Amino acid sequence: MGRVAEDDERAFTEIVRRFQGRVGNLISRVLNDRESVDDLAQEVFVRVFVHRRNYRRGSKFSTWVFTIAANLAKNEIRRRVRRRNWFSLDALTEVLSDSLPQLADPTESRETGMEREQLQGAVGRAIATVPEKYRLALVLRDIEGLAYEEIAEVLGLPGGTVRSRINRARGMLQRKLQPLLRKQDAP
Amino acid sequence: MNRCDQARRLFGAYWDDEVTQAEREWLESHLAGCPGCRPQYEQFARTLETVGSLPRTDVAADLPERALAAARRAATAPDRIAVVPVRPVWIQVTATAALLLLTLSALLPWLGTSAVQRLLAGRESKVAEPRLVATASRAPEPVRLDSLGIDHSEDVEFILDPVVLHRGRAQAPSRLPKGVQGEQAVISF
Repeated sequence: MGRVAEDDERAFTEIVRRFQGRVGNLISRVLNDRESVDDLAQEVFVRVFVHRRNYRRGSKFSTWVFTIAANLAKNEIRRRVRRRNWFSLDALTEVLSDSLPQLADPTESRETGMEREQLQGAVGRAIATVPEKYRLALVLRDIEGLAYEEIAEVLGLPGGTVRSRINRARGMLQRKLQPLLRKQDAP
Repeated sequence: MNRCDQARRLFGAYWDDEVTQAEREWLESHLAGCPGCRPQYEQFARTLETVGSLPRTDVAADLPERALAAARRAATAPDRIAVVPVRPVWIQVTATAALLLLTLSALLPWLGTSAVQRLLAGRESKVAEPRLVATASRAPEPVRLDSLGIDHSEDVEFILDPVVLHRGRAQAPSRLPKGVQGEQAVISF
């Protein structure tokens, strides 16, 4: 990152290559929208470049990148909520009611690739229905595997708040996925 | 709080491997013997396993090049609006007043001196110094006594002549008793 701060463009593209997967995945899971991932990931790295001199040497670079990505994802969620075409309550109910019965169809083989894809789709949609403040913490912890301390730094929250948010998010997700998991367990 | 509530509160920490050895042993023994908590924990674990095993999202292969091009554009793009720092009005007003006060206090001694000097100069030009009327050249007046037998030929009449009210020489009517003659002297102030 030191080289990036000195306008080394090759170092910048190397950083993009190294972090693009994690940044893209974070955005994708928080927004549950594959289409916007490339544009938003690009925006994250543009901000990294523009603010490269604000990066404090000695701090963890991944934390800084995730902070930028999390803020952008939050802004994007709020922008979509303002437009009222994404996460409206009706849409959320529709998403869950559409996906779960299909996935819970016992006549379908559980081992097929199609079912696995549907399961993943349903889980992705269920994550998207968790309120934003819990969702970000959940994705950073259970998908990106960040330590609690790092999540606290990314979100600018005390460690206790982060733990509590992750616990609540897990509980919400479990309740949302409960019907699906129960039916999958059924013979 | 009963034992099952206590156990369920530990699910998250147990999953994250953040429990103490004593908590681990207690929870594992509880799960082994509790028909309610065991399926609950299994469902909890399956949920998080499913979340954690979601496929990674691939980003565009040319993202580094695209990001670099966009970063170059962003770094060189001028601001679309002129950024004028907005300062509170009270700061400007206070600063102007302070500046004015300082200027006045610096100029006041000079202004004061010159004004006084100008005033004095003006007064000198407008108001003549009191002059003693020359009497030596006059012909000696004959001695005239009043009814009391006093000689007033050498009397001097003083007339108060405020400068503002009477510009130039005062020409006040004489208040000497009739028949008494004396010189007028003017005191200007």
